[in-house]
Amino acid sequence: MDPVQNKLLEHLLEACARRDQGAFARLYEATASKLFGVAIRILRREDWAEEVLQDCYVSIWNNAGSYTPALSAPMTWMTSIVRNRCLDWLRRPRLEVVLERDGEDGEDPLLAIASDEPGPLEALAQSADAKALADCLGRLDAKQRQAIMLAFFHGLSHSELAGHMRQPLGTVKTWVRRGLERLKGCLGAL
Amino acid sequence: MRYRNKPELQDRLAAEYALGTLRGRARLRFQAWLREDAALRRAVAEWEARLNPMVAGVAPRRPPRRVWAGIQARIGGLQPPGAVAPPPASAARDGGIWQSLAFWRGWGLIAAGCVATLVGALALKKPELIEVPVVREVVKEAEPARLQPSYVAVLRDNTGKPVLIATAARRSDELWIKRIGIDAEPPEHGYELWGLFAEQGKAPRLLGMLPKDDKATIRLAGAADEVLRDFPALAITLEPARGSGGTATGPVVASGECFQFW
Repeated sequence: MDPVQNKLLEHLLEACARRDQGAFARLYEATASKLFGVAIRILRREDWAEEVLQDCYVSIWNNAGSYTPALSAPMTWMTSIVRNRCLDWLRRPRLEVVLERDGEDGEDPLLAIASDEPGPLEALAQSADAKALADCLGRLDAKQRQAIMLAFFHGLSHSELAGHMRQPLGTVKTWVRRGLERLKGCLGAL
Repeated sequence: MRYRNKPELQDRLAAEYALGTLRGRARLRFQAWLREDAALRRAVAEWEARLNPMVAGVAPRRPPRRVWAGIQARIGGLQPPGAVAPPPASAARDGGIWQSLAFWRGWGLIAAGCVATLVGALALKKPELIEVPVVREVVKEAEPARLQPSYVAVLRDNTGKPVLIATAARRSDELWIKRIGIDAEPPEHGYELWGLFAEQGKAPRLLGMLPKDDKATIRLAGAADEVLRDFPALAITLEPARGSGGTATGPVVASGECFQFW
């Protein structure tokens, strides 16, 4: 993320910690589109994403005081809040039967977006600030990369990954672990 | 705890936590441990910094207005809906910074009110202009327009608060700036002022870096009549201290319509 933008978001978060609602509005303006996109990408349902996004901004407002610039960039911090909330949402016990695949209206544009998945790696490589990660993901074995990206975007657990990839649990666990190790080594070397 | 003094294991758990594959009771235990261990929080933050750029490939999507309304309702209660930030009247689909500019359009009426007040204020300050609102045409004919502010813009931040006034006389190349509440620049940054064209998609033109003084002058490339006439609005972005080089990179911090009086 661009350092200028980072700086501004840091200031806005500081101001939010001081209960400055104007700053909170600016923070929302600057970040909501991106984070809504992330929530939709993970949840694949716009109505859920709306609900989760609301929770996340309430949480950002309430926890702005605990944001530590030295520890994470603002967008990294907020993205983690959104991802974690999305993953919790996907894991919540559900009484309803899951119908989302062919929801109420067949032509939900969200489903179209979610299903075409235009090679996430290619999309990633187009963004300068993620180029290093894209390079390193590209150097992983395909299975390692697939397991990591499935876990990241779909919140799959090890056993869900094993089911999805039709591999023994132990194998998938190893892919994830080795993939993460290699990713760290590769990013550290750049 | 069995993780202590095992940095490799700690790091692996932090990675799986950040990725989301640490689940169930292990996740809860890990969260409890996170609360009391700063080194572990750092390890998780480092992993988040490594992995979260994965979302860079995700297309931004403007949330519907009801999302913001819902957030407002939940965090305050003190503010009636819409009192704080009308954020995003914007059509920002691809996140381009100029796309968030749509919001200034909504402020036209209020800005117009401010301009009326401003004309009054200017008239009081400059005795020779006292009659201006009444005999505008006469003044225009009679005087060389040396001191008459003809172009006026009131720039507002994203919450609608007026933060800066810019005025210029028709034939002068000086744009007078008065800060009326814009936040000071963050360290190592500056504000740049831009003219926005009416045409959709036409790149804004850099007018100059904002001096740090409360009252200052920006030298335009020519007389205001030639330079400002094309801009229905002005905007300020946050940029590196050395300047953007002519293509805005930072976020829009304020904007407002630019009016011509005579």
